[in-house]
Amino acid sequence: MVEKTYDVVIVGSGAGGGAVAKELAPLCRQGLRIAVLEWGPKLRESEFTGREAEMADKLYFDSGGFLTRDRAMTLAFGRAYGGSTVVYTGTSLTLPEAVLARWGVPGLDHGDLRRRSEKYLGENNVHLLGDDALNDNNRLFAEGCRTLGYRVAQFPINVKGCHGSGLCNLGCPNAAKQGTNRVQLPAAEAAGVEVVTNCKVETIGERACTATVTNPPFGEPSSWEPGRYRIRARAIVVAGGAVNSPALLLRSRLPVQLPALGRYLTAHPALILVGEHEHPITNYFGHPKSYYCDQFVDDGFLLETCMYFPFTTAKNLIGFGAEHADLMGRMDRMQMILVLAVDPALPANRITLGHDGEPVVDYRFTDGVLDALVASQRAAARIFFAAGCRRVHAPAGASFFITAAEAGRIDELITREPFKLGKVSISSAHLMGGCRMGADAGDSVTDAWGQVHGVPWLFVADGSLFPRCSEINPYVTIMALADRVAERVRARLPELPA
Amino acid sequence: MTPLSERQWAFFLAVAARVVPAVTSLDETGRERFAAIVGTALAGRPRSLQRQFALFLSVVRWAPALRFGAPFDRLAPAAQDSVLRWFMDAPAAKLRGGFWGLRALVFMGYYGQPEVWGAIRYAPSFSGNEFLHG
Repeated sequence: MVEKTYDVVIVGSGAGGGAVAKELAPLCRQGLRIAVLEWGPKLRESEFTGREAEMADKLYFDSGGFLTRDRAMTLAFGRAYGGSTVVYTGTSLTLPEAVLARWGVPGLDHGDLRRRSEKYLGENNVHLLGDDALNDNNRLFAEGCRTLGYRVAQFPINVKGCHGSGLCNLGCPNAAKQGTNRVQLPAAEAAGVEVVTNCKVETIGERACTATVTNPPFGEPSSWEPGRYRIRARAIVVAGGAVNSPALLLRSRLPVQLPALGRYLTAHPALILVGEHEHPITNYFGHPKSYYCDQFVDDGFLLETCMYFPFTTAKNLIGFGAEHADLMGRMDRMQMILVLAVDPALPANRITLGHDGEPVVDYRFTDGVLDALVASQRAAARIFFAAGCRRVHAPAGASFFITAAEAGRIDELITREPFKLGKVSISSAHLMGGCRMGADAGDSVTDAWGQVHGVPWLFVADGSLFPRCSEINPYVTIMALADRVAERVRARLPELPA
Repeated sequence: MTPLSERQWAFFLAVAARVVPAVTSLDETGRERFAAIVGTALAGRPRSLQRQFALFLSVVRWAPALRFGAPFDRLAPAAQDSVLRWFMDAPAAKLRGGFWGLRALVFMGYYGQPEVWGAIRYAPSFSGNEFLHG
């Protein structure tokens, strides 16, 4: 086993790990050694092909179809230089004050979080797209919402030179999206931080971790030779995401008991809904996600525009055979809405380890979440019809299609009865919790600065810190929290033995 | 390529033809791509899941014998669809989940091929903004 020594090791290079790496990078000028250990590959620019199956395989864990134990939900989270920031759509919202109040973390102040969030909005070139860059799929959603009197707003997004490939979730082929792979990691590397790809960290021990480097048959080879490593560090920052960070800590021999570790996972469980227009609309050209509607957040759900790829779309429709193929044959007429449930943080929703040491996710859908997912389909159907769709497909629909002539009967045609777990494709790309922040080691894992309770050299800096769900797209909040973690690591380092 | 046996694969293809009828219209290259995509997806899953999937295929094959007196692959297409609809809405979540997984694999094998995108009117471009306004 090869031995390496650093001052700081950061596990993971997504929104959290990338932010910590850049914030700590100036320390390299003082002679400190910092490494980012990233499980995934760094793809060459030519490898961003936009081909769904190929990119999903290269950029996501389990090709984006990581299943919960009961297989009722798939979880999508990235594995690459840049983590999930390579595969998100770049929608950039700051955490509302009311949500932070619900989080109730002593020492976590909204003014502080907003200031840090705004720093990343600037750093990542976050702005609103001009009207000329909005496609029909987005425009029609906004029009439908306005017709119905629903509150609708445009997403600020973090792109630079976007050509509107619409392939954000498969890794931008035009290098336009300003994820950590484009902004924070290159800046950190330029300042002296080492980023080691294809490096899976397996366990953490006393100020050290073990890892294995294995190069897949794509992407740039790791800067380390394939093999096993033991890496010593004065401080370790875990930023592997809400599934892998708890799993890594559960696999590790920590000097403390953490009963909340792995628990309180939230996911914003989501459904993709489809309406069909009489004529082709622009949907797969242009940025896919320009608007959101938070009219119903108190009812437990959010609505966003979206446009997915053929396999993902097919999987999310109910049914099979001729009627399914009939709708799939009209991709150019589809309007799509993503509905997301605001789910509660429950201790039973958790990450544990399987026999092989890999994460297993238990997630129980509460009645409240299921009711919200049904209500969200009714709201989406109304928006589709208000936008001019001739028919709508809803997973909880009484039949494959609800026609415009039936629009007045939406409440009776979309019900809980046909909405069965295991039948419906429910997915999540907003994974939060598992190493939640808090004051009490009995029901949280870290303090408000991401330091693991009772372990002064161990920190967490990713979405797993969220004590409850964010009720918005989470990446900016992850970066703002990671910024705090970096500040605490920097302050704490002089006290930590070499 | 696929962790399924030859016989299991043949049965999977029979089900696939009901899930996505156009699977039967694929040319030889298309069939090879279909097999490669499905095989890669299955091979990347834990062995326990592969075994469960193979078991589920057997259940789909033989369960119809109880109601129709014949296995799935000897039923008329309409009866086959009826069997699949039953699994889709089955009272047990595990059966629904099994069918969901089977269906997802078929969709992946077919719609995951860029070569079929023309047939479904999907033609993305790296320069999509150029096509936004006519």
